[in-house]
Amino acid sequence: MNAFLKNMLVIARRDFLAIVATPTFLLFLLAPLFMVGMGAVGGLGASQLADSARGKGRIVAIVDPADVEALRQADARLRGALSGGERPVMLDVRAAGPDAPDPLVIAREKGSDTYAVLSGPLESPRIIERNEGSSSGRYLALLAADVLRDRAAGPVAPVEPRFEAITSGGTSIAAQQSLGFGAVFAIFLMTLLLAGQTVSSMAEEKGNKVIEILAAAVPLESVFLGKLLGMLGVAILFIAFWSVIAVGGGFVAATQIDPAAIAAAGKPAAALAVAPASGWGFFFGISICYFVMAFLLLGAVFLGIGAQASTVREIQMLSLPITIFQVGMFSLSAAAASAPGSDLARFAQIFPFSSPFAMAARAATDGAHGIHPLALGWQAIWVAAVVYLSVRLFRAGVLSSGSGWKFWKKARPVAAAAAAASAAAESPSTH
Amino acid sequence: MTELAVEATGLTKYFEAFQAVDHVTLKVPAGSIYGVLGPNGAGKTTSLRMTLGIIDPDEGTSRLLGGHKPQAVRHRIGYLPEERGLYPGMKAREAIAFMGALRGLDWSEGRRRAATFMTELGLERVIDEKIRKMSKGMAQMVQLIGSIVHAPDLIVLDEPFSGLDPVNQERLEMLVRRERDRGATILFSTHVMAHAERLCDRLAIIARSQRRFEGTVDEARALLPMQVRYTPREQGEAVAALLPAGAEHKGEAWHFAIEENDVEPLLARITASGHGVAGLSIARPALHDAFVHIVRQVDAGFDATPQADAVEEAAA
Ligand SMILES: Nc1ncnc2c1ncn2[C@@H]1O[C@H](COP(=O)(O)OP(=O)(O)OP(=O)(O)O)[C@@H](O)[C@H]1O
Ligand SMILES: [Mg+2]
Repeated sequence: MNAFLKNMLVIARRDFLAIVATPTFLLFLLAPLFMVGMGAVGGLGASQLADSARGKGRIVAIVDPADVEALRQADARLRGALSGGERPVMLDVRAAGPDAPDPLVIAREKGSDTYAVLSGPLESPRIIERNEGSSSGRYLALLAADVLRDRAAGPVAPVEPRFEAITSGGTSIAAQQSLGFGAVFAIFLMTLLLAGQTVSSMAEEKGNKVIEILAAAVPLESVFLGKLLGMLGVAILFIAFWSVIAVGGGFVAATQIDPAAIAAAGKPAAALAVAPASGWGFFFGISICYFVMAFLLLGAVFLGIGAQASTVREIQMLSLPITIFQVGMFSLSAAAASAPGSDLARFAQIFPFSSPFAMAARAATDGAHGIHPLALGWQAIWVAAVVYLSVRLFRAGVLSSGSGWKFWKKARPVAAAAAAASAAAESPSTH
Repeated sequence: MTELAVEATGLTKYFEAFQAVDHVTLKVPAGSIYGVLGPNGAGKTTSLRMTLGIIDPDEGTSRLLGGHKPQAVRHRIGYLPEERGLYPGMKAREAIAFMGALRGLDWSEGRRRAATFMTELGLERVIDEKIRKMSKGMAQMVQLIGSIVHAPDLIVLDEPFSGLDPVNQERLEMLVRRERDRGATILFSTHVMAHAERLCDRLAIIARSQRRFEGTVDEARALLPMQVRYTPREQGEAVAALLPAGAEHKGEAWHFAIEENDVEPLLARITASGHGVAGLSIARPALHDAFVHIVRQVDAGFDATPQADAVEEAAA
């Protein structure tokens, strides 16, 4: 094996074991559990809030007792064609009579949000609405019109529609874009969690002085790359652990659920019909490749920056700009994912630090495979460049070599400067 | 001329404006034990680091083990840095194997040799102890083993004896000799003269950034005249006249220095004078004296012409 690779693996092995063989690693491994837990609690609260709010909203129609049934039917028909958020709030139909309360009083009744109240004859109803021009008011008017039209037309043979679902013909662009965004988000989340760890990984050797042994024994490039590789190993272990849990959990769930129920729900079939443009297999594979690249690239930057810091406090100070930088790359790539083919997307795909995210998003909307090896190569060049630069800076700064950069070297020696000064003094007419 | 294991010429290093090392040349014959001596802050560590290519010299070059760049022969070199460092969470055996692996040694072979070395050096009880739990001296011995476990051809030790108890110092001396007998070249720095005196085939003395002496221990000692302690049987005013100017009378004895050529004429004078001899010792000065002598001379020279002034004059 190549000596450089061998050195790298020795460093990587040490780092990997040093991280994994500690109790704190268990905490780190289980961190997503806390995250999911927190998220679930928050989500539960939010959805309860929304549910209870929606349950309390209503619209009211006060109509002639003869019209009550027709109105209810019209409501059921119209409601069926509207989905989710467009669906109006619950309709409360009441029969008009001598002792029926005033619509204004109903509109102000406590205990529920009343968006609109219809009263009076259907031909010329009075509609009191909470917000002017609200859809609730329009909806009540529509109901009235529907009831009247039904009555005028007399009995009509019921329409017997035949519904046919399109089974092939591909996924909508919107769905593919969401997939792209999902990939960007997943990769971002994992790099945020894992790549930031590299910032402090050089501090250990500086703290316990092992750095001089390493610097004497192996090229610093292999130390840096080895550390990245060790951390990548940790990251992959982390992902593998959670993948196994997820797949295992999926199996358990599958055996618990009645297959007939799944078929009836029709959900899995719908989910599988959504496919990235490059195909599921390729998309998954390439996303993993891009995660590795994102990790190496951002990890290399953080490692290089962290290597310059000499105290824990300095490292802590660095973590904020680092997080901001990561979020910046995420936003750029997320924006690019929502506008495939745009100049912004192209920029995000080429700019080295957002490239892995943006290219993963591209795999969701663009079927071409050939571009990806090219992008991975481009990103690998940047990993190498960042490591090279980091090592240079490290040698110059931390090991005080000072001569990594020729112009610094020339600036340093006082004797040389003095000699230059006296030479200039002797020949003032040279320029 | 024998082959050189280390051929570092004109090594120069500035830290900002301060010249830490000024054209230091180190030529270490292969298979020898070579000492770099000097007071604190003289530039020993910086010179060794440049020799090994850990930091780049501003001027000068270093070639090791037959004209190679230091980076090209890393796996044939062992190095104990002045600032000792090991991973505290590692077991001694693993730490040694790790250091061997860095230099290309097989892990399993490294672990095996680690046990052998540690047993030899009386550390068998702590072979599987974590570094964190060891005393400083023990950890230092572990690190020392780690820097020679891959049987390097060139071993560079920066103040290897500091922090060790006398027993471990003995063991280390034994180890250094054994490595030399194996065929390795050893270059080490120290400011403890006794070790240098016992071990070194050749040595260099660095003071105030420059190499001030290079040669064998005997050559260093020959820099100073012989030290004489003479106690006459018959004391008297006339004794002083027999002795060289500057002889000091302390109690019964006279202390003074003479050149080697003057020893026999002195003995003749004493015999002829009839003052007799109650006690007489004529000894070469110790390396310690030569070292102090050289360092004092350099310091005196510095106090006379401070370097800062010289630089300012040049710049003006
Ligand atoms: N990284 C550094 N930055 C600035 N100055 C330094 C640095 N390293 C060493 N020096 C200076 O260079 C000079 C030589 O240091 P060096 O460590 O080589 O001395 P030494 O002979 O090994 O001393 P000691 O016997 O105390 O170990 C010292 O004056 C020291 O202050
Ligand atoms: Mg030193």
